[in-house]
Amino acid sequence: MGTFKTKNPGNQPVWVNTNNCKACDICVSVCPAGVLGMVYEPTSTLGAMISIQHPEACIGCMECELACPDFAIYVADKKEYKFAKLVDESKERQAAVIVNNYMSLNEKRS
Amino acid sequence: MAFNYENYLRLEKMPTLWCWGCGDGVILKTFVRAIDSLGINKDDICLVSGIGCSGRFSSYVDFNTVHTTHGRTIAFATGIKLANPTKHVICVAGDGDALAIGGNHTIHGCRRNIDITFIIINNFIYGLTNSQTSPTTPQGMWTVSQQAGNIDPTFNTCNLAIASGASFVARETVNDPKKLEKAMVKALEHKGFSLLEVLSNCHINLGRKNKMNSAIENLNWIDSITVSKKKYDTMTQEEQTNLLPTGILKQDTEAAEYCDMYAEVIKVHQGKRKTITQDDFKKKI
Repeated sequence: MGTFKTKNPGNQPVWVNTNNCKACDICVSVCPAGVLGMVYEPTSTLGAMISIQHPEACIGCMECELACPDFAIYVADKKEYKFAKLVDESKERQAAVIVNNYMSLNEKRS
Repeated sequence: MAFNYENYLRLEKMPTLWCWGCGDGVILKTFVRAIDSLGINKDDICLVSGIGCSGRFSSYVDFNTVHTTHGRTIAFATGIKLANPTKHVICVAGDGDALAIGGNHTIHGCRRNIDITFIIINNFIYGLTNSQTSPTTPQGMWTVSQQAGNIDPTFNTCNLAIASGASFVARETVNDPKKLEKAMVKALEHKGFSLLEVLSNCHINLGRKNKMNSAIENLNWIDSITVSKKKYDTMTQEEQTNLLPTGILKQDTEAAEYCDMYAEVIKVHQGKRKTITQDDFKKKI
């Protein structure tokens, strides 16, 4: 407990520290590109956990990192990583994730 | 490498005790980023917090910190600032802390225009003690102390501060951390009393009983009651009724700062100048 994982685990656009995440869904709601999604996690207090579903679509807007109240999600520096452009496919996926109650599209609705 | 928050936080206290999705965490993060962008030395900052969820602030940041009694942040901070005029003194308080119990200290801090940065986290409720009516709780909302619906009229924090004489007054929300960071930087840079009201969410103690079950619903409600100052100024009085303007509402760089005036008092006692008279002030009454 205690240490953050601010160091990039290896050429990733966005990465998470699941020790800090409290599953509030805020990062998923602010992402414009459908990169994130919640997955079911029985050991978490709220029964869910953040996961990165489509790292290749990340545009590096920093919204998730800045909106996270618990220092659980980090975005790579623009100098270190080449981010993707925002495309319609990403926008549609984000809209679908929101309709799916912020759960990842790979998770079945309960 | 992402932004290195570890330099500014007490890692043994992490993760925070705040509820999931609490705006206080966003404000803590933004505050750390603002301090970093200004490049202020950690040892030159004193952070004073009171009681409430916002009181936890002083436990998490690795500056000089004081966790004071309920509502007395400004009283303690005034003493700290007068003893160390060259240091940055920052107060963090909630809406109940700053406007109800500490309302008296807040208005007199504003009146003196002492160089303190005052961050008021307004979540519209007493969160830590479980949903009692605070001076900013909107009328008609359920609270544990007014279960038939709150009938108390509300304070407008920024208007109160402007009327009391604060030289920098701004309002931002946790919905837009980038704008919040800019406002925090300006508030920290300003010489004189700078009050920054941050509208935050408490979906646990306010939202749950008022049709805002999740953090996101609560944040959307905050979004619906705020509008930028630029747009607010173009609206008719009728349209403005249920909206709060965000942005910098007042900035007066001319107003005399209290520590500067106090330096003159010290000079009098050292025999370096004559006593202060009315001629020293532009405003006589």
